[in-house]
Amino acid sequence: MRIEPMREPSSHREEASYGPELRIRRRRNTARKAVALVIPGLLLCGAALADHVEKHFKVDAHPVITLHNPNGTVTVKAWSKSEVMVVATPASDQVEVDAAQTGNRVDIMTHPVSGNASPDGLKADFEIRVPEDAELQIHDDSGAVNVNSVLGDMNVETVGAGVDLADAAGYLTVKTIDGPFQCERCAGRIEVSSISGNFRLTDLRSYQVRAQTSKGNILFSGEFLPNGMYELKNYSGVIEVRFSPGDSFDLSATSLKGKVNNEAKLAPPSHQQHFYSKFNNSLFGSFNAGRAKVELSSFDGTINILKRN
Amino acid sequence: MSTMGCSEFMEQLEQWMEGERHGGARAHVQSCPACRSFVTDLDAIQAAAPTLSIADPEPPARVWAVLRSQLVEEGLIREQAATEWQRERSWFAGLFTHVPRPALASAYLTLLVLLAFGLSGPVMQQARPAPSFALADELDHAEQTTVSSFASSKSPVSADLHQNLEIVDHYIALCEKSVREEPENDVAREYLYQAYQQKADLLSMITERGDFNQ
Repeated sequence: MRIEPMREPSSHREEASYGPELRIRRRRNTARKAVALVIPGLLLCGAALADHVEKHFKVDAHPVITLHNPNGTVTVKAWSKSEVMVVATPASDQVEVDAAQTGNRVDIMTHPVSGNASPDGLKADFEIRVPEDAELQIHDDSGAVNVNSVLGDMNVETVGAGVDLADAAGYLTVKTIDGPFQCERCAGRIEVSSISGNFRLTDLRSYQVRAQTSKGNILFSGEFLPNGMYELKNYSGVIEVRFSPGDSFDLSATSLKGKVNNEAKLAPPSHQQHFYSKFNNSLFGSFNAGRAKVELSSFDGTINILKRN
Repeated sequence: MSTMGCSEFMEQLEQWMEGERHGGARAHVQSCPACRSFVTDLDAIQAAAPTLSIADPEPPARVWAVLRSQLVEEGLIREQAATEWQRERSWFAGLFTHVPRPALASAYLTLLVLLAFGLSGPVMQQARPAPSFALADELDHAEQTTVSSFASSKSPVSADLHQNLEIVDHYIALCEKSVREEPENDVAREYLYQAYQQKADLLSMITERGDFNQ
């Protein structure tokens, strides 16, 4: 079998044959081409940067950051600096972003420049860096809210925007209309409510969880801490709770018109007197020592209590 | 020691709010944390109301009629007191004359829901009357008013809110059906009142968003 030698690129071959004079001319041409490409690029970048708003605020411990934004993606991450950095990208000149500091509080607000701004024109995206002990108050009607590694208290309200929290702690209150909510590796206390948003609560270490959605599904897969309280409620949809053999909880599960499916081996309730009603499908009992309290209720949805894989 | 009960005190609430605070009523308020908290809230609202700007004067007369008839129906007040309340109602209606429209809507809806929760409490548990769902009618009326004022907005947020209002209405209908079929079912009642609460919250939110979008 004959193996063809690898060919050098054509320009190299030409340079090799025509000598150093041609090489210099070609380098000049390359430099001109690079300048021709880079200058418009810089101009474009400049135009894009002109739309960016970046501000820095020095803060003390436990600062409060408030954000009111009608539409857009909000990403908040913790860092080790005693400083809040706000990078805002408004979608159009129909909207303005204000960020101001009052004491240890930073207030960020998006507002329309004129009264006839279109909904899309009111959009602004935010990248925010905060100290990890910051307290957050975020209102974002549509878009998305992502918060990572912030340990202070948090209040998030949206209409359609999904809320995604990871490694959060403190007292977390979240309210959406139909935005989904996801909380991963969260601790502290969680209160979340929605009308048609789905909830996904995974790898939690929260001592108190109260989650209520009307039409959405709820998935809880986390630790049931001793003396913890876990209340999950919906009208329809599926409530799914996953437990491990080492968990210890007192369970109350009631679906008025739907089903309750259970894989936990329950003993009669140890802590509280429960009343079975002829109207509902109910299940009461203790799993292991019944240290945590788990209350699941649905109007006509299904409740699944399943072993964690 | 207080001899006046909560129902009796509620009958005298109008006089109380107009400053006629007789010994029996005073003693009851001293001894009853629920009524004390209630009148404290009303005092605070009454005190704050004049500082707010005037926009929309008064909820429709049918609101008072429904509130009155429901209070009578549940035995909280008697017909005579109700008639007087309807005729005068000066302090209570006066609360709303100073409140701007969005605040009025929110306060009004909250009041309806508070009333609903109040009526679903001990009084209902004793008597177990057939549910009248007058509250649902009021919320529907509030919905028509709120939604029509917000109808011009074509934003996705508006669409979301309306879609979810339909969802809540659907659950209200389901829960009302359950309560009608099984009046003794406490869980169904609880779900129904929570659905009313959700609807009131949603209507308040629509009102606020309407103001923002206009």
